[in-house]
Amino acid sequence: MKAKVTRTLSILSILAVVLMVFAVYGQAAKLPKNILVYACTDSTTTWDPSASFSTELTYIANIYEPLVWVSPPGSAKEFRPGLAERWEKSADGLTWKFYLRKGVKFHDGGVLTAKAVKDSFDRTKTMKKGASFILGPIEEIKVLDDHTVQFNLKSVAPLERIVASAYAAWIISPKAVGNDQKWFDAGNEAGSGPYMLESAKPDEEIVLKKFDGYWGGWDKPHFERVVVKIVKEASVQEQMIDSGVADLGNRIPVESSKTFDEKDCCSRLVGPSYLNYALHLNTQKPPFDNIKVRQAVSYAMPYKDMVDIGLGGLGQQARGPIPYTQFGHDKDVYQYTTDLAKAKKLMAEAGFPDGIKEKVIYTYAAENQVEKAFSPLIKESLAKIGIDVDIRPMIWNAQWDLMKGGPEKAQHMGALLWWPTFSDPYDTLYSLWHSEGKPFFNFSYYRNPEYDDLIDKAYTSPDVEQAKALYAKAQKILVEEAPSVYLMDVELPVFVRNELKGYVINPSYPRVPFFYDMHKE
Amino acid sequence: MLPPFSQTETGPCFMIRFAIRRVLWLFVVLLGLSVITFYLSRMVPGDPASLYLGPRAKPEQVELLRSQMGLDKPLHVQFFYYVCDLFHGDLGESLRTHRPVLAGILDHLPASLELMFGAILIATLVGIPLGALSAKKENTLIDHLSRVFSVANVSLPAFWLAMIAQIIFFKWLDLLPVGGRIDTVIGLVSPIETITGFYVLDALMTGNWQALKSAVAHLILPAFILASYSTGIITRMTRSTMLEVLREDYITTARSIGVTEKEIIFVQGLRNALGPTLTAAGLCFAFMLTGTFFIELIFFWPGLGTYTTTAIFSNDYPVIMGVTILMAVFYVLVNLLVDLVIAFVDPRIRLG
Repeated sequence: MKAKVTRTLSILSILAVVLMVFAVYGQAAKLPKNILVYACTDSTTTWDPSASFSTELTYIANIYEPLVWVSPPGSAKEFRPGLAERWEKSADGLTWKFYLRKGVKFHDGGVLTAKAVKDSFDRTKTMKKGASFILGPIEEIKVLDDHTVQFNLKSVAPLERIVASAYAAWIISPKAVGNDQKWFDAGNEAGSGPYMLESAKPDEEIVLKKFDGYWGGWDKPHFERVVVKIVKEASVQEQMIDSGVADLGNRIPVESSKTFDEKDCCSRLVGPSYLNYALHLNTQKPPFDNIKVRQAVSYAMPYKDMVDIGLGGLGQQARGPIPYTQFGHDKDVYQYTTDLAKAKKLMAEAGFPDGIKEKVIYTYAAENQVEKAFSPLIKESLAKIGIDVDIRPMIWNAQWDLMKGGPEKAQHMGALLWWPTFSDPYDTLYSLWHSEGKPFFNFSYYRNPEYDDLIDKAYTSPDVEQAKALYAKAQKILVEEAPSVYLMDVELPVFVRNELKGYVINPSYPRVPFFYDMHKE
Repeated sequence: MLPPFSQTETGPCFMIRFAIRRVLWLFVVLLGLSVITFYLSRMVPGDPASLYLGPRAKPEQVELLRSQMGLDKPLHVQFFYYVCDLFHGDLGESLRTHRPVLAGILDHLPASLELMFGAILIATLVGIPLGALSAKKENTLIDHLSRVFSVANVSLPAFWLAMIAQIIFFKWLDLLPVGGRIDTVIGLVSPIETITGFYVLDALMTGNWQALKSAVAHLILPAFILASYSTGIITRMTRSTMLEVLREDYITTARSIGVTEKEIIFVQGLRNALGPTLTAAGLCFAFMLTGTFFIELIFFWPGLGTYTTTAIFSNDYPVIMGVTILMAVFYVLVNLLVDLVIAFVDPRIRLG
């Protein structure tokens, strides 16, 4: 026994060494051109397109298709046909007709008909999950013929934006539309898009394979397969892209991000997003119940520094609550500048020439590195105008719970990263500032019936220009009354190897790479 | 730990009774643990229903789910349901992935176990001989170097070691992969058939040599880094017990009657020193289950660590509780196993 132990040990050691040496030699070859490897942080919460409302969008948007797509900023036309070739609406805005593309097949063999469209939307509405609330204005969907579908609305709404949404608007194959969420979450899919889900290992790797029967055809250079590796650690992603193990990445350490472009192998692509950061002031709790104090805070913010330090320069100071390039953004909305003199004057006018004695509680989401970086800047600048800030990092859900506790219990100030559910400003303007019975997202406890009325009118206006004008008016109120401080609009970077072509950033589909349009040279 | 053996008891019958007693203790430990983790996780702010539905759920959706999940019932009622479910092997559903926690754990466990087995193998194959050598050459340069080596292994954080290893072996030397379990292309072109979930074993069993090479290459760095702490412990443990043993009278006697030095060290010395060393190794192995967390993050190894850290950051309390309970079971079982192995290996204990 005794000698055996040592002999076993030695044999094991030798075997182990031999195995390791054998494994190390003849390592991996370069990635072939028809496979894309994307190192990504996006995990999935569900595979059900009717319930999807999170980062699985990266995959859903390549597997499924909507009736209509919102084009990237700078395009000639704002919308692009998806599964619908063209569409029209009635003069009163309550009836919309969509004419479907012919000959579209789903991955499971199903065929696109008007009934499939109706069933998909009905399913999403019935399930009431995810972003299904955007389908609220739809009263009834009628099948006029195999390729024509009619939407009857109960109130006027921008339906083409709704059906182009990144959430709740995906069309599901008729063969699978009767399945429940569990079927989808088991890893099944029923889309018509260019890529099929080949395999999904949770938190590890998602592999998409090209769908040969895709209506768009495959005559240009395309990827046969896309392998998405879930890599949460930024420095590891950097190594992977640098060395060619991955072609594309979405998170690099902030320090390396700035110099990424200087590398020979790789570039950093930057584009607008609809993400923005705002500081919400509790308008029902002193001192922020005083409009002059709120305006003083708006003048005290070091906007440029916050963009530089919080976003590493990837962004710009916000102009109003709607991000730059989103429909509804108004270039003429007033923008506060960093002006400490003005801020101090306003504080004096508000009755606080020597500042405020009581500490003001400020919370931000502890998981958010950007907020973590800019929060000390907020404290520093407010100290200069006599407001003593107590910074409290909290896990997002805890922060949200605190805010929902009612105006007395809630914090004085909270930082919030926001993005719209779809490309209409109503979602943002309603959720954040519409008068609320039960607290939900209105962090500033703002209550203004005139404002409520304006945005409701804008949303239900059949005239696009009139809607824009009404939204502009509503934003003017928000900026003047300053229930929130509009900090910055975020630009999202993507890190690519130079051989990769065709990546177009489309903020309506946040952080989605459209693989069909991409190829490697 | 319980004083394990009464010196008058002997034989397999005793071992079985001993094992049963320890398993019963396991249940006591689990009950206490589940009470603590359950109440702690409920006290942490953050509504589980909102978590489940995602950041933009509407209030009505949240209310509906709260009553479906039974969150509006009193805490002790919720706990009762939880324990009942536990007995049926139902650890609940992940708030994030909406899949059963047990399935999630079982999905991710083989990857972590493979890493741990690799690591403990390295730790023992390096630690034991090094410790023995160190003991024999006490107070020489080799001894001093090995002591520095052990202390370094125990003190240097695995997280940091992992990143340094990546820079050296991947970036500079281009010898080993940066992370993951298998090369992307090989994984697509000659995928490993899942038998045990251990890539190395499965590739070996199915004769998939390309995949075997890749799997081993990917296992090397993370396993070595994970092994570092245990290597340090095992080296020290072996060294100190060997030193004690070598001072015993029977060793001096053996030397004087002409037993070779080699046999003294490797046969007499090591066999007697093996007991405490194996205990330490067993405990290190159990400890490694948490040690994998940082390693898995850096090497994006899709094991239990990845699953749990993602759950922690998203307040996914069913997963956190499920993993905690699993760790407790694992720890107690490994302890039990180690004690049984010691009893088997060490004739003094076996024969009373």
